[in-house]
Amino acid sequence: MIPIIICATMGLAPPTNVRAYDKPDDGGGTVVIEWQLSPEDAAVERYEIYRSADGADFERVGFIGKGRNNIEDNTADGIPYRYKVAAVIDSVRSYSEPSANVFSRPQWIDRPKLNVFAALIIFGAIILYFTYAARRGKAMFIRKIAGVQAIDDAVGRATEMGKPILYCPGIGYIEDIATIASLNILGEVAKKCAQYDTKLINPNRDPIVYTVAREIIKESYANVGRPDSFDPDCAYYVTDSQFAYAAAIDGVMLRERPATNFLVGWFRAESLILAETGASTGAIQIAGTDQVSQLPFFVTACDYTLIGEELYAASAYISKEPLLLGSIKGEDWGKFFIGLVLIIASVIALLTALPVLGLFN
Amino acid sequence: MKILDILNNIDRRIIYLILLTVVVLPLIFPSVEKVRVMPPVRKLYEAIDNIPPEKGLIIDFDYEPQTAPELDPMSFAILRHAFHRRIKLLVLSLYVQPLGLAQNALTQVVEEFNSAAQTSEDSIIYGRDYVFLGWVPPPIIPILGMAESITNVYRVDYYGNQTDTLPLMAQIENYNDIDLLVSISGADPPKWWVAYAQSRFGLRVGAGITAVSASEFYPYLQTGQFSGMLVGMKGAAEYEEMVERKLEVKARRKASEALLSLTYAHLVIIIFIVIGNIGYFIRRRDRRKQ
Amino acid sequence: MKKTFPLILVFVFGILGIIPFFVPHPFIQNSDEFLRNEFLRILAAFALVLGLGSLLRVHIDKIKRKRENWQYSWILIITFVISSVIGLFGGVRGTGILPTTIGTFQFDIWTIYWNVAVPLGSTMFALLAFFMASAAYRAFRVRSTEATLLLAAAFIVMIGVLPLGDRVSPHLPSFAQWIMDVPNVAGQRGILFGVALGVLATALKIILGIERSWLGGGGK
Repeated sequence: MIPIIICATMGLAPPTNVRAYDKPDDGGGTVVIEWQLSPEDAAVERYEIYRSADGADFERVGFIGKGRNNIEDNTADGIPYRYKVAAVIDSVRSYSEPSANVFSRPQWIDRPKLNVFAALIIFGAIILYFTYAARRGKAMFIRKIAGVQAIDDAVGRATEMGKPILYCPGIGYIEDIATIASLNILGEVAKKCAQYDTKLINPNRDPIVYTVAREIIKESYANVGRPDSFDPDCAYYVTDSQFAYAAAIDGVMLRERPATNFLVGWFRAESLILAETGASTGAIQIAGTDQVSQLPFFVTACDYTLIGEELYAASAYISKEPLLLGSIKGEDWGKFFIGLVLIIASVIALLTALPVLGLFN
Repeated sequence: MKILDILNNIDRRIIYLILLTVVVLPLIFPSVEKVRVMPPVRKLYEAIDNIPPEKGLIIDFDYEPQTAPELDPMSFAILRHAFHRRIKLLVLSLYVQPLGLAQNALTQVVEEFNSAAQTSEDSIIYGRDYVFLGWVPPPIIPILGMAESITNVYRVDYYGNQTDTLPLMAQIENYNDIDLLVSISGADPPKWWVAYAQSRFGLRVGAGITAVSASEFYPYLQTGQFSGMLVGMKGAAEYEEMVERKLEVKARRKASEALLSLTYAHLVIIIFIVIGNIGYFIRRRDRRKQ
Repeated sequence: MKKTFPLILVFVFGILGIIPFFVPHPFIQNSDEFLRNEFLRILAAFALVLGLGSLLRVHIDKIKRKRENWQYSWILIITFVISSVIGLFGGVRGTGILPTTIGTFQFDIWTIYWNVAVPLGSTMFALLAFFMASAAYRAFRVRSTEATLLLAAAFIVMIGVLPLGDRVSPHLPSFAQWIMDVPNVAGQRGILFGVALGVLATALKIILGIERSWLGGGGK
């Protein structure tokens, strides 16, 4: 039981209008309690929140600083609770009237995220529309990407020189989209290596990425009818350590002297270490990442760089699959719409700032 | 033509050797460089300086030995500021590796203050003035949990003391009692504090970051999500300058000493770029003439 | 079937990955947690065994066939075995079943980490400074108007962030700061918008089976 102090004699007015409700759009287990501040809020030290399951015994479940009029409480779903809020000065507590019964429960839909869902559907629909337009044979103009166009030449050069190709998928994990995009490109590069019978070296930093990469290369060799040429050791795992991995790749570059280095995927500080070592060996280097802070290093030290989204689009360019090209067109339209929304929103924001207009206030 | 070839094809080992020399020499014969304090640093200094007496400061040490030379001076300068102003201080890490670095910084700065102290009041005392909370995995859990109760998340501190027995923790319950958190890191933790502690609980966040990752953090500063930011060695040197000038705290200024190395290194790189371009220009002009 | 089954798996698990973002119910959230945490961890453990197996196989093969630089492979195998034995039997901080203390020296994983991994990592990281210098010298050429602008911006920022910048002109540091605050942030945001849309499109393409390069292409 809490000590009851008759606050009227102390002159401390309690918080009022205590309202408790199940937190909307959550997984349950939370009740939100709101109240109107005590008129003496400026002098109040803190507000304490009390809870009762039976309406009689209230226990303290939390507190919050003055000037704040709501708090969340963790509860067991389905059990009705009542809440009181006390304003506290020193050891003096002034209690509010209890709230009505409330119980928490989980929800199936997070409504504030419905706008994201709508955007996902719209964007997905745009991509699907262009994909199927491409399937129906609609011709689509897609800007050329130098880095992707260079892939054929790079593989050809390695074949002529009788040197291997190094493919580094970065230090990301399989859940990173940059790594997935890199593996998509690896599939296409592996096909070309299989066609030209060029040796491919693929050291990996993550064991899952390694197993996936190995399967992709194997499938690519099979797809161009050269399953016998597949070397199971061309893809291998090196280490989980970022800089040890960079050192290992540098070692491969200096010992094996690949004619072409692909540095495509998710990179951090090792990007320049790899790119500059590769440049010192005279290899043609094609890099690509969505890590903005590493792009300047790749742009400086490599012959070609796939910047940001070009990385995701690259496998479509190489494979020249109409369906994939259609999806790129869809991406462009999505970007156009986002740009449009941004411009409109910026104009509205600017107009709101102008007191003369006050149009959107 | 020979000079042209030399200008265009300087061996990279010569570049490395010159760079090594200009970086190492000022470190062997250190001297402090004066710096002008830029707004992001001034903002962080003022945010810490204006922490009211009833509120506390959290410093999140989240860098590893690789980036320590760049980020350690920031930690030292901020610790000196906090201890000088007697701000209630909590120190923690979201990962295990930085713990040793955090302990090292705390030990050194506390020793600086205590060696000059005359009375218990002047001294920096563990548990009364600061607490080293240590590390609780995984990273996001303590960020969220501390909003409710810091002692519930960190039941024991780094040294194994029950946190609820420490006098300072009786005054600091949760984020309501914290005015500012400064995350010093070479990776993403400052973003996590913004995403989880600031957006949900209104905690103000400052950051100390490496120069190489700076560009991706500027948007946070621009939007006001960071209440100030220290970038690399220069940011640390500016903070050292503020601490010495405003608070008259005299201590070794490692970042300011290293600035000379940084200056020479930048100049060497600029000179090499210019040399490369002179060679390029002459060659292009000759080609046009032909 | 060989390709249909993986496509069905990707579709199902892809959709299962999207649903928890919109559905807060504990049933969905706990299933998602299980898939991400437990299931992925088990997969990762098996993949790690395969990965380490591949690493050893590549190097043992190199030694057997006496391929070029085969001697280095011995270093890898010996250090691999030593650190595995210390890690498995000596524990992280000398807490395992193997006595890992000789006098005051402990050769546990902690010692290896701080005395081998950290200095080597720091050394590699420090190489960046040298590589930046050589890369800048080699590649920063005033080939076009854009390259000239880029070079001018680089010089302003490089000098502006130094104490020297303030001595050259008191406006230079502010200008350098402006370059970082405004054009830099604008450029980054532009790239990030493209990246975000690219991520979404790639994810959709893979989930819906439009992108099949990861299956070795084709899709028949």
